Amino acid sequence: MTAVDVKPSPDSPGPGGAGGPDGNGGPGVPGASGNARKRKGASRRLSFVLVKLGSLLLTLFVASLAVFFSRFLVPGDPARFLLRGRSPKPEALAEITRQYGLDKPPWEQYVNWLGGILHGDWGRSLTYRQDVSEVLLNRLPTTLQLVALAAVFITLLGLLAGIIASLNKGFGDKFILITLTAAGAVPPFVAAIGLVAVFSVNLGWFPSFGSGDGVWDRIWHLTLPALALGVTYIAFVARVTRSSMNEQLIREHVEVATSRGLTRSSVVVRHVLRNALGPILTVSGVLIAGLLVSSAIIEQTFGLTGIGQLLVQSIDRLDFGVVQAIVMVVVTAFVVVNTVVDLVQPLIDPRISAGSETR
Amino acid sequence: MTLSMTLPQTGFRRYTSALSLTAWIAVIVTAVVVLVSVLAPSLAPYDPDYVDLDNVLAGPSAQHLLGTDALGRDLLSRLMFGGRTSLLGPTLVVLGSAVLGLLLGLAAGWSDGWLGKILGRVFDILFAFPALLVSMLAVALFGKGLVAPIIAMTIAYVPYVARLTQGLVASERARPYVQAYRVLGFRTPWVVLGRVLPNLIPTVGAQSALNFGYVLADLAALSFIGLGVQPPTSDWGAMIEESRGALLGGYILPAFWPALVVVIVVVAVNVIGEEISDRIGGKLS
Amino acid sequence: MSHLLEVQDFTLGFAGRDPLLDKVSLHVDDGEAVALVGESGSGKSLTTRAALGLLPERTQHSGLVSVRGLNTLTASRQQLLELRRQRASMIFQDPRAGINPVRTVGDFLTETLVRWRGLSRAEATERAVTQLEQVGLRRAKDLVNQYPHQLSGGMLQRVMIAAALLDSPELLLCDEPTTALDVTTQAGIVRLLRDEQQARGMGMLFITHDLNLAASLCERVYVLRRGKVVEHGRTREVFVNPQQDYTRQLVGATPTIDLDRVPAPPAPTEEAPLLEVSGLSKRYELAHGEVITALDDAAFALPRGGSLGVVGESGSGKSTLARLVVALETASNGELRLDGKERPARPLRATERKLLARDVQIVFQDPYLSLDPRIPVGHAVADVFRLHRKQSRKAATDSARELLERVGIGPERFGAKPRALSGGQRQRVALAKALAAQPRLLVLDEATSALDVSVQAQVLELVEELRDQLGLTILFVTHDLAVVSRICSQVLVMHQGRIVEQGPTAEVLAAPADGYTRNLIGSRPRPLWDAEPAAL
Repeated sequence: MTAVDVKPSPDSPGPGGAGGPDGNGGPGVPGASGNARKRKGASRRLSFVLVKLGSLLLTLFVASLAVFFSRFLVPGDPARFLLRGRSPKPEALAEITRQYGLDKPPWEQYVNWLGGILHGDWGRSLTYRQDVSEVLLNRLPTTLQLVALAAVFITLLGLLAGIIASLNKGFGDKFILITLTAAGAVPPFVAAIGLVAVFSVNLGWFPSFGSGDGVWDRIWHLTLPALALGVTYIAFVARVTRSSMNEQLIREHVEVATSRGLTRSSVVVRHVLRNALGPILTVSGVLIAGLLVSSAIIEQTFGLTGIGQLLVQSIDRLDFGVVQAIVMVVVTAFVVVNTVVDLVQPLIDPRISAGSETR
Repeated sequence: MTLSMTLPQTGFRRYTSALSLTAWIAVIVTAVVVLVSVLAPSLAPYDPDYVDLDNVLAGPSAQHLLGTDALGRDLLSRLMFGGRTSLLGPTLVVLGSAVLGLLLGLAAGWSDGWLGKILGRVFDILFAFPALLVSMLAVALFGKGLVAPIIAMTIAYVPYVARLTQGLVASERARPYVQAYRVLGFRTPWVVLGRVLPNLIPTVGAQSALNFGYVLADLAALSFIGLGVQPPTSDWGAMIEESRGALLGGYILPAFWPALVVVIVVVAVNVIGEEISDRIGGKLS
Repeated sequence: MSHLLEVQDFTLGFAGRDPLLDKVSLHVDDGEAVALVGESGSGKSLTTRAALGLLPERTQHSGLVSVRGLNTLTASRQQLLELRRQRASMIFQDPRAGINPVRTVGDFLTETLVRWRGLSRAEATERAVTQLEQVGLRRAKDLVNQYPHQLSGGMLQRVMIAAALLDSPELLLCDEPTTALDVTTQAGIVRLLRDEQQARGMGMLFITHDLNLAASLCERVYVLRRGKVVEHGRTREVFVNPQQDYTRQLVGATPTIDLDRVPAPPAPTEEAPLLEVSGLSKRYELAHGEVITALDDAAFALPRGGSLGVVGESGSGKSTLARLVVALETASNGELRLDGKERPARPLRATERKLLARDVQIVFQDPYLSLDPRIPVGHAVADVFRLHRKQSRKAATDSARELLERVGIGPERFGAKPRALSGGQRQRVALAKALAAQPRLLVLDEATSALDVSVQAQVLELVEELRDQLGLTILFVTHDLAVVSRICSQVLVMHQGRIVEQGPTAEVLAAPADGYTRNLIGSRPRPLWDAEPAAL
C-alpha cells in the first residue's frame, strides 16, 4: 500500500467533521471552556432526540393518511365496499352510511377516524359485532408472546452462531455458514410445515395446534411456532453478527489491544463484540417488523388466536374496519421500534449524536 | 425484510477470484428451474389440473416421477406449472422495484437541494410499510389473487433499492473520478447515466438477487394462507397448503417437493447475490 | 553480546509464494534509536510486528526474533503476554484507527493497568493522567473522559504514546507514527519520542519511509527493500555515502530544500496574469448552524508560464482554493479571473463548464479513486479527445495512445483497467486525461503525496518535462515545502484559511517573514549530525 498522507479525506467539501484538523489546535483542544462544550454537547443530543421523534410523528401521520385513504382507491361506493359480501339492502346501506359517517366529506371522515383512534375507539367489527379495540386487545397477548419467544430464540441462537462462526475460522465457520445459508432460505411457512411433520406428527413432542393455557403449557404450545417464525431470522442475525464481528476483528484497534498484552478473551469482549453491536442493532429494527408480519402466517398455520390470524380472517371475511386497525397497529409498532433503535445507537457509538456519522 | 443495510458499498476488499464453483452451480440450478417453468406446457408429462381419483397419493413411479397428490394430480407437472406462477411474481416485483428504485435513488443522491430531502422523506415513509403487510392490505382492498399483491410489493421494495442507490450515488459523487468528469466538461446526464449508474448496477443487482428470494417466500406464503393464488392454479405455496391434510396422514411427498424447490431456488438466488457482492470488492481494489 | 532486540535471518511468507521477508537481520541495543526505512511492500511493518509476536495467520517463518533473549516465534502465549505487557510496546501509525472509537480515552489507557496490574480504577486513572501530562497534554483530567473523535490527530498520537509508556517498556517500536500527521505536529511528536527514549534509556526501532525523519531521530539505519535488508550502518554514513544503488536512488529521490535549484520565475511581461484572484472567500454552513470559513480573503496573481506552489497543512484552505479555481466550488465572496474571463458568482452551466475545461484541469491526490474503475485507461483518455477535439473514435484512440506514451504508459497498457496499474502509473493516466483537454493551467492537488518517494520523484520529473514542453502554467498544492522548492518559482503559504505569506520561492524559503512560515520550515526534520540551528 502506498503511504497514507496527511490530509483528511480530499473529497469532503469542507474541512473534516467534528474530529477537527490534524494539528495541535482545533475544537478538541482541552483549553477551551469545558462547561461550554458540555452544554453544547447536551443540546446537540437533545436536538437529535427531538428530530427523531418529530420524524416518527410525521411518518405515523402520513401512514395513517395512506391507510385511511387506501379505501378510496377501490372504484365504487365506499359504503358498498364496507358491506361487500353482505346483504346490500337499501336500509342496511343507509344505516351503515349514517353510522360510519360515509356521507360526510372524506377529510372530515379522516379526522373523525383519527380522533377516534387516539381516543381508543377503533370502530366496530362487522364479523364479531364488537368494538375492534376489544377484539384486538383480546388477541394481542398471544401475538406478543409468540413474537417475544421467537425473539429470544433469535437472539440466543443467532448471536451465538454468529459469534462462534467468526471466532472459529476454518471448519467451524464453513459448517455454520452452510447451515445458515440453508436455514435462511426456508420461509416461515415451510419451516412450520417441516417442524410439524417432524416434531409433531412423527415424534409427537410438541402440539401442532392451539395456544394452550397457563405459563408452561403456553410456552410448550408456542415453541414450534416460535421456532418456525424464527428460523429465517436466526440465520439473518447470525450472518450479520458474523460479518460485523469479522469486520471488527481486522480493525487496527483490535491489533493495538492485543499488542498491549490483553488476553484474547478480553480483546474479543471489550473491543470486538462491543463495536460489532452497532450494525446488529440496526438490523434488529427491520427484524421485529418482519416478525410481526410473518407471525400472521404462523398464527394461521398453527391456529393461534393472535392478531395475525385475525388479520387473515378479516381479509377473508371482508371486515375492512379490522384490517385497517391492525395495519395501523403493526405500522406503528414498526416505526416505534425503529425509532427506539435509532435513539439507542448513540449509546453504543458516541460518534453518532455528535453529528459526524462516519463509522 | 432485506439485507440492504448490510450489503457492502462499492468499496474495497482484497478479494479477487473467478466465479466460484458454488456460484456456478447456483446459476445453473436457477437457469434450469426457470427454463423448465417457462417450457412447462411442452415439457410437463400431464395436465397439472387433471384429477385422477384412482391414483391418489401415489409414491414415485415410472408414470409419475414424483408421485401424485391428494387428488391424484401429477406432482411433477404441478411443480413445473407452479414455477410459472411462483417465479413470475418475484421477477416482476424485483424488476419493477429495481428500475423505480434506481431512478428515484439517482435523483435523490445527485441532488443537493430540496429534491433529495423530499425524496429522502418519501423513502422514510415507504419504509414504514413492510412488504407482506402491504400486500395483505392490497388483497383486502382489491380481492384475492396475485395482481394486487405484486403491485403492492413492488412499491414496498422501492425504498430499499432507492435508499441503497442514494447512498451509493452520494458517495460516488464525492469521488475524484466523478469530479474529474465534471472538470473535464462532460455533461451531467452522461456522467450520471453513462458512468456512475453502471458502477452501481452490481451492488443493486446483488441486493435485487437477495430480494428475489424474500419476495418469492412472501408471495408463496400469501398463497399458502389462501390470499394469493386461487385453486386450481398450481403454485408452490398453494401446493404446500393443499398437502397439509396428506402430511398429517403421513404422506410427506406432496408437501416435500414444492418445499424443496422453494428452498433450493431461494438458496441459489442468495448465493448468486452474495457472489455478485463479493466480486464488487474485487473489481475495485 | 546480547541485544535488546535481535532479528537473525528472519524469513516470513505464505506457502508457495515469494517470501515477504527474506533473511532479515538487525539488532537494537538498550538506549539506542534505530531506523527501519523502506517504501511500501518492503516488509518493515511485518518485521516490527514480529518482535511482539504479532504474525499474520497462515504464514510460515524461519530464523530468530528475540527480545531480551525470548524468541517470539516460539514463545508460549503466556510468555508473549508478559513480553507485551512489560518488555516492549508499540506505537501505531493511525491513532484514529488504533484507539477504539466507542470507548473513552481513559478506558483505553487504563484497561491494561486495571486488568492485570491489579490497580483499582481510581489508581489507574491517576497514573494515566500523570502520563498524559508527561507527554504534553494539558487538562488531562478532562481528557480521560472524552472520546477519540473529540480529539485532534496530534493529541491522539500523544495518547497512544502515553499508553505505550505507561508500562515502562524497555523496547519501543514505532510504526510510522507521524505519517498521518501534519509536519508541524510531527515535529512535536518526534521531539517527544526522542526525549522519552533518551530519558528512559529505551531501545527504539523507528519505522519510516522518510529518510530525513530517520536521520533526525536515529543513530543507525537499516534500509529494507522487498523484504531484504539492502544496506545498514550509521545513519550519517548511509545518508551521505550510500553504497548500494537502491539506497542511492532513495536518497536522491528524497526531496530536500535546495535553494540553488529553485526554478526562476518567468520574465515579467505586459500581459495580464493567467490567474488573478482577489478577496476570495469560501464559507460552509454545517448542520448545526456553525459556519466554517475555509478560505478567507485570498489574493494573488499567477503569470502565464509560471508555477505557483500553495503550501499549507490540513485545514489551511489550500484544497478549497484548488477546487475554487477549477469551479468544483463556488466562492462566497471575491473575484476570480482566469485568462481574462471572470468567474460568475454561481455554479457554472454545462456550456460554461465545457469552455472552462479548455482553460484549466486538475489532477487529484488519490491514485485509487481518481480513475473510473470500470473504464480501460486508454478509453478514458480517448473519451476526452472525443469530447473536446471532436475526433472520431479511431482518431481519438490514436491521440490517446500517443499521449499515454508521452506520459510513460506504453501501448500494452492501453486496454488495462486502473486496478492493474500501480499508483504511479495511475497518476500518469490522470495527467494524460487532464492534458488531453489541452488546458492552459494545470492544478495539481497533492498529486504526488500518496506515492512512494521514488515514484513521486519520477512523476515530478514528468510534470516538469510536460510543463516545459507544453508551456503549461502550474498550480501545485502540497504540504511539502521541498516539492515546492523544486517545481515552483512562486509560493503561497496558507494557514487556517488565510494566505500568510507569498512571493518568489527562493526568497520566502531563505528569509521567511511570517512566524508560521518560519515554523513550517523549522519543523522539517533535521539530521542529528546537522548542528546548525534552524533558520529563524
